[in-house]
Amino acid sequence: MLPEVDVMAMSAVARDTVFALRRQIAKIEGTLPERLQAPGALKAIPGKVRSGFPSGIAEKQISTDAAGSDLTIVRHGLAVASADAFLQTGIERLDTALGGGLPKAALSEIHGLATRDAGAVAGFALSLASLILKQKQGLPILWVGTAEIFHEAGLPYARGLDTLFGIAPGQLLLSEAPKLVDALWIAEEAARMTAFAAVILEIRGSPQRLDLTATRRLHARARNADRPVLLLRQAGEADPTAAPVRLIVSAAPSASRATIAGPLAGSIGRPAFKVDIGKSRTALPGQFILEWNPDEHAFAQRTENSVAVVPASGRRADPAPASGAVLAFPAGASPAAISPTAIPPTARDQPSRQQHPAHRGPRRAG
Amino acid sequence: MISHRDNNTQRIAALDERAEALKLKRGMGIADARAMHPSIDVVEADAEADRRLLEGLADWCDRYTPLVAIDGEDGLFLDVTGCTHLFGGERAMQDEILTRFFQQGFDVRAGLASTPGAAWAAARFHGDRIVAGGEEEALLAPLPLSALRIAPETRASLESVGLRTAGAVMAAPRAPLARRFGATLLLRLDQALGRLDEAVSPRLPVAPLSIERHLAEPIMLTDDIERLISRLAVALKSDLERRGEGARTLALLLFRVDGAVSRIAVGTSRPMREPRLIQRLFHERLTALEQNIDAGFGFDLVRLSVLSVAAFDMAQGDLTGEVADDDADVALFADRVRARLGEAAVLKPVVVESHLPERAVANVPFAEAPQRRAPAAGRVAPPRTAPPMTIYPLERPVRLFRSPEPIEVPATEIPEGPPMNFRWRRALYRVARAEGPERIAAEWWRQLPGEEKAPTRDYYRIEDSEGRRYWLYRQGLYSSASQAAPPRWFMHGVFA
Repeated sequence: MLPEVDVMAMSAVARDTVFALRRQIAKIEGTLPERLQAPGALKAIPGKVRSGFPSGIAEKQISTDAAGSDLTIVRHGLAVASADAFLQTGIERLDTALGGGLPKAALSEIHGLATRDAGAVAGFALSLASLILKQKQGLPILWVGTAEIFHEAGLPYARGLDTLFGIAPGQLLLSEAPKLVDALWIAEEAARMTAFAAVILEIRGSPQRLDLTATRRLHARARNADRPVLLLRQAGEADPTAAPVRLIVSAAPSASRATIAGPLAGSIGRPAFKVDIGKSRTALPGQFILEWNPDEHAFAQRTENSVAVVPASGRRADPAPASGAVLAFPAGASPAAISPTAIPPTARDQPSRQQHPAHRGPRRAG
Repeated sequence: MISHRDNNTQRIAALDERAEALKLKRGMGIADARAMHPSIDVVEADAEADRRLLEGLADWCDRYTPLVAIDGEDGLFLDVTGCTHLFGGERAMQDEILTRFFQQGFDVRAGLASTPGAAWAAARFHGDRIVAGGEEEALLAPLPLSALRIAPETRASLESVGLRTAGAVMAAPRAPLARRFGATLLLRLDQALGRLDEAVSPRLPVAPLSIERHLAEPIMLTDDIERLISRLAVALKSDLERRGEGARTLALLLFRVDGAVSRIAVGTSRPMREPRLIQRLFHERLTALEQNIDAGFGFDLVRLSVLSVAAFDMAQGDLTGEVADDDADVALFADRVRARLGEAAVLKPVVVESHLPERAVANVPFAEAPQRRAPAAGRVAPPRTAPPMTIYPLERPVRLFRSPEPIEVPATEIPEGPPMNFRWRRALYRVARAEGPERIAAEWWRQLPGEEKAPTRDYYRIEDSEGRRYWLYRQGLYSSASQAAPPRWFMHGVFA
């Protein structure tokens, strides 16, 4: 759990210890050993440096140290991989925090804290699948689940996927396994194939069989086949996993429907997700609110009810004591949400014929 | 000794040699037999078990010919036309069958003739006899009337007019016989003598292709079986290629030394002939069945049959010799999963033209899913899978529950409006926002005439205070009539 960018003022001893440890970790993980980079060299990687990082620490260290002596350690293990190796969510802040995006040829865990979050977790996984399908058109997606989870949380519904994520009914294959062992077998067999655009494995709870070995097998197969495997875990604990990334997804209140005359009060707009980074080699835990744009099949940053980013400690101890000033991230430029003031008054007073029904209270009344 | 109940009396149905030595006979009352020999051991007849045993034997006889039929309660017909040379001639074959049955502990009588009727008579009245073609008349003439497979009443009336042997019936003029005793008698007579063809209807459909291997040394290990499968599949491949076909259903028959037969079938989503793939399919099936296959003392005959075939489309490979076909990979994957976990293990959603959410998508097993095919010549009705026409895209959930789950709704703001809060799976949810209703009426055209009209549903999209989105519906309407049941609420799906 190492930050992509560490701005740390350290004593020489402490630094040596950290380096030794990192080298060891890199050896175990089989990634390239990290390189030290002077702050000046960092400017060569624009947009990578200070964004994914809780600013409290940065602020503190810059203030305590002389400007010339602050050290930046960049983890190159993942970051040097080509941008092609990552699935970009399209949200720059999230991509940066994850070191370029979600690794494409890997196992990624997506957790839901309770089974009732299954809708949000499924929606998030399917939006990722939809992004994948933009590059791998025509390939099917396999959704493997145990009978338990399909009974508890319902089956993926082809009609909903079509309109929201652009996944045609024939493109999603469902596989229901009676037991977890069978589900793991199916997923492993599917993960080694290149004929699927992505494999989604959905498990409920924290079964013992789903341990480090099982996830490592899935991860290795995904890496060899160069295909993503998404492991959805509903109501599961944060068990040890071989997946490089674990995201915790829950539902976020959706924005109101945007009409030409501004947001429509009381309506339920596009799907929104609250994404916490639970595990990542490059990012500190952080929280993001994403909105899915079903028309363009792309994520958008939240434009309404945007929540200030917390120096998220997730559910564990804060990596640094909360001293010093806390700086918020620079708010992303809000994409084309039309605010009421942007509309000429005539257009607001007289909506076009298409927009007219949206003004009659709840949609589709009667 | 085995007894059975006949006309309210316990009678002897079958008896062994020692009981026969005591001068007991079939059909004798149990009470009489007990009076003669109080120490006899009587077991109640179990027709069902007898039937199962006979079917097991019929399965076992499959090793001699694919055409095996069950005859009554105690007989088997084997159509060995064209099979005898595989066992060294008629005599050798019959001897082998009798020996093997004897070794399994059965008292068997066999007859071999060119007509089923003559064979039937030879088996039942001679025990071990081979009737050459044209000798049927000589065989039947001295035999009693029961050798003709006729009803007991007909036999009794024939005997009452003095015709006691089959030969006497054959000598009698045909027209009066037919007039007096019905057409069945002459039909049976003609069939036995080969004047009319009689078809033996086999128990199991005959496989278009079968490859088998007799083993001198029985095999027991799954690995050995799999190795043998791939060898048989190689032999099968050339046959399939010659016919231009691929296998859609394959069956593996394992004949155990002691007579038990295991039958293992696998289905494929697309015609297949590649031995390696066939072996992998059976590998999955055998892994799944590991506990259920009892090798006992080993299998001495392994047969690989193709039960159904379909035309095989050859694919042109590229220069590297590989055929890039992702669909084939998926089909093979689905076949393997289905071989291990059953037919419904891989499902493919198919959109059905319906407004009811649970009917609008049918999850069909992968093999049955409509495959992409070149349109057939001639007029073909368009498949009714198109979604219903709508002006705006319908808001549909990403997950739908198998069956709608009832929820408790204590209060709604307005009688026909969305709920203010609800209780689902014992947890209380507060409704923050609601959209709707979308009214979906029941499909009256699917109702049976006498059936009660199904209530309409009003669907609402609900967002709770924590941001989760649900799809609820109210079944029925609030009614002012006091005796009317209040409408019920259901949770049908969740949105992203």
